[in-house]
Amino acid sequence: MNSLRERAFLNRLDELRGTMPARPHDARAIAALAANPGCARRAVMDAAGVDKDRAARHVGFPAPFGQSQFAITRGNVFESLVKENGCAELLRLLRELLGLSVAQVGYRDVESVGSHLRHSHTRALIDRAAREDDGTAVFYDHPLFSLEIAGHTSYLEPDVVAFQIGGRFHIVEIKSFGMIDGQAEPDKVAAAARQAAVYVLALRTLMADLGHDPERVSHDVVLVCPENFANRPTAALVDVRKQLSVLGRQLTRMTRVEYLLEGLPDDLTFDLAPGEDGVPTRSADELTQALLQVPARYAPDCLSTCDMCMFCRHEARACGSTDLLGRQIRDQLGGVSGMHEALGLAEGTREAVEGQEEIARLLRLADRLREESLR
Amino acid sequence: MSDSLDALERRIAGLRAEVRRAVKAKENSLARSLRGELRRAEQAWDAAISSEAPTPAREPETSLLPIREQVHQALAMLGVPTSAKLIVAVNDAFFSRELRGSQLTSLRRDEERSFRGDPYARPYYLCAALTDRLSPARGLLADSTWPAESRVLGPLSPRVDFLTSTMRIAEHLARLAEPPAGAVRLLSRMAQNIPGAVEGFAPADPATAIRAARAELEVHRATDAAQRAEVAARATRQLPDAERLFGVTAMNTLRGAC
Repeated sequence: MNSLRERAFLNRLDELRGTMPARPHDARAIAALAANPGCARRAVMDAAGVDKDRAARHVGFPAPFGQSQFAITRGNVFESLVKENGCAELLRLLRELLGLSVAQVGYRDVESVGSHLRHSHTRALIDRAAREDDGTAVFYDHPLFSLEIAGHTSYLEPDVVAFQIGGRFHIVEIKSFGMIDGQAEPDKVAAAARQAAVYVLALRTLMADLGHDPERVSHDVVLVCPENFANRPTAALVDVRKQLSVLGRQLTRMTRVEYLLEGLPDDLTFDLAPGEDGVPTRSADELTQALLQVPARYAPDCLSTCDMCMFCRHEARACGSTDLLGRQIRDQLGGVSGMHEALGLAEGTREAVEGQEEIARLLRLADRLREESLR
Repeated sequence: MSDSLDALERRIAGLRAEVRRAVKAKENSLARSLRGELRRAEQAWDAAISSEAPTPAREPETSLLPIREQVHQALAMLGVPTSAKLIVAVNDAFFSRELRGSQLTSLRRDEERSFRGDPYARPYYLCAALTDRLSPARGLLADSTWPAESRVLGPLSPRVDFLTSTMRIAEHLARLAEPPAGAVRLLSRMAQNIPGAVEGFAPADPATAIRAARAELEVHRATDAAQRAEVAARATRQLPDAERLFGVTAMNTLRGAC
């Protein structure tokens, strides 16, 4: 992208956002990007830094989530338990998991410099650790990374970065959901892995920036969870290569949001400028129309990651889209445009057109099985 | 005690069954002697239950010491810069058991104000531990009478201090004739993070814990001492009295001191 086009692109994004300041992304938001890469609505709104929560609220579909205060407190208590006494618990876990030698016990709290210097101090410490390889510091507590996303810098705070002799960095992610009998809930682990992948990517970017080999940041992240029903921490290595590649693709795609923008009307904007009472001045209908201009790809797991989920679900319901049934079924119903058509094929009220014979046969079989079991 | 109660209850139930059988069989003399035995068992049961009644829980003796004295007591025992959480845990395990974490939040600030108002008026101050950038380490409390080397932190110091405080707790525990259960639990929890200090989830043995902690301490001691000496020398050279105890909070203070 040359600079002129880049400026035009950034201007276009500013227009989309309107007069509100851009909303910075946190690791959760960046991770959620990778959860549904096919959604143009999300890609455009995130690239422009639109406050999706406010937008959803304004059009009357507030997102049902947000973390409960109890969950946050529980998470913080568990994290402080793992980190207390110079990461004593974590040290035990990493000695078992990564085979740290007894001499490797260093601990540095990046926060000791004050919040305004944390980012540069993190940079300096990581640079020194990567250069000298003396193994003095193993844990970096409260580091602060940055990651540039569509022209905006986002700051990210991983829980801990561990540095091991042999020169590899590991991201440590502390989560308070239980690992019971060696198993944790798959969707929670997947969410944690996506989030950790964002940190790995940020640290790799930093390493490349400092002129070191980015591959020295391990793609195995250390996930620390309470073991079984007690509060004793346990750790496992989680491979985030897949999440990393999805994330990398998604982030490069964000810079290609301009191709998505080309198809949109020039006067389109999601402006949420508040009036005197703090409520956006634009009417909800107008905003709804603007939102509908950008196609979404709804999937049921959007309900746990995206602020716009209720709006998109409503839209998908209204047009009887097969997206509502989840990705797997939607893919199986490829070539069938909506629920209405699928039901027609199943009940035989509709003739299968060319290319639909296979799925029509399956649908009819399913319908017959259902009839028989209900009889 | 409750074991003997269980045995007594079983015996009473058995005797009652036998009495019933004897009465049914019209063996009067046997029934009478069995009844006598039953009554004695019941009396023994009465005596046992009243002795078992929970002795009124030890009233937390209201300590007459002010909070800073209590914190100092815990710090003196541990001998290293310590987090508020561990101070409360130690106080709970060995001392008055009435210290709360929230009482410690403004302690350091109050001490600093007192020191700045009237330097060295008190025999000791509860001060900060200094990081290698001479700023106060988050959440750690130290004693101003300790040598400068023990009040500063190098990268290895958190581990060294953790091992040292585990040893101090174990030593203190070994001296007590009747170690309080809370203290044993505290030691076990800490010892679990030291290789070879404790078997699985069993209560820690103080002697083993000390041996294991000392073994690991030997690995770090020399490096840590060198790093700490360097920071301490820098602090002594660059900082005025108050900052030497309470740390440099803003960059301009440091610049003024250099």
